[in-house]
Amino acid sequence: MAASIGTDDKKSVNIELNIVPFIDLMSCLTSFLLVTAVWVNIAQINIQPKGKSRDQAQVQQDDERVILSVLLQSDRIWVGLSRVNEFQEIPKKGDQQDWERFETTLKEHKSSTFFNDRTDLEIAAESTAAAPVKYQDIVHAMDIAVRAGFQDVGLSDPQGLAARPTL
Amino acid sequence: MPIQSAGPRLYRSVKFKHLVRGAGSAASRASNISLNLTPFVDMMTILVTFLLMVFSASGELLQAVKGLELPTAQAHDTLQQAPVIIVTKSEITYQGQLVATVDSVMRDDSPTYKIDALFERLDAAAKKIREDVAYGRQAKDLLKSCEDAKQNIRPPAGKICPDGLAILQADESTDGQLINKIVNTAKAAGFDNLLFAVKNK
Repeated sequence: MAASIGTDDKKSVNIELNIVPFIDLMSCLTSFLLVTAVWVNIAQINIQPKGKSRDQAQVQQDDERVILSVLLQSDRIWVGLSRVNEFQEIPKKGDQQDWERFETTLKEHKSSTFFNDRTDLEIAAESTAAAPVKYQDIVHAMDIAVRAGFQDVGLSDPQGLAARPTL
Repeated sequence: MPIQSAGPRLYRSVKFKHLVRGAGSAASRASNISLNLTPFVDMMTILVTFLLMVFSASGELLQAVKGLELPTAQAHDTLQQAPVIIVTKSEITYQGQLVATVDSVMRDDSPTYKIDALFERLDAAAKKIREDVAYGRQAKDLLKSCEDAKQNIRPPAGKICPDGLAILQADESTDGQLINKIVNTAKAAGFDNLLFAVKNK
């Protein structure tokens, strides 16, 4: 029943497969893939610069819509609504920003009547020499905003935010 | 050169009796050695499977910069070809050319809040890209994205209209003030769509 292929012994049931081409192919493939491998998986967050620049005249916003603005500071995050002028303060938790509460807040806003059909949001970072805000925090805030459903994230100058808390 | 008779040869001129004995005794056994290739084939298969999984057909769009640590994010949109602004801990470069040092930019208190050297380069690049798009010197799918963008249609990831598109590859510890200046400069030069390069978590 069993065939003896590649052996001289007619009674042998062993089958010898020629795996040399297989090993050749595997070696070539491994070499090619090792050379062309990209070890760091880089992605992107797409943002649109928004708000007024500092050299532009401060004119009254003529946008009728309510804009969700996020201001990152070194020790807190402000989430505000323009025209309504409502602000929520999210203080730092330990040595990190309270990202969980920030995400919850954004999700609440996303489900509100103002933003349930909108995906725009503006973020600004107020960084000073005494209280710096790192780029990683800005990216993290944008990442959370995208996850919360605000795909059209805009990065604005702190002075150009539609809703800016007055301290 | 004259032909000479062969010199001393092993087993003939030089009598290595012990070697002759050894060879003779080995001849009585099978001379074929069968290597067990199963672990080798297993390893190759696993390696090829792993490498195929991490294979990226798009290749590397960003150049590796020593000491630059990208911020991490959960975003999964793939990058696309665009002019690259690189911000390391000490330098700002555009398309591989040094534009300014971080210290000089941070010391600059100009009210325009722009980096002039970067603006000049970005402005020239933006004009060239706009011209390329206008004359159809870009890929067809990207030109279609440009048409879609006029009608506020969101392009698929990796197919964003190149007009006004740039990549920012900045170190995670970069000051937010510097990022604001770069974004402001890019916006003034006409780059109103920035891709922040991040590392996947």
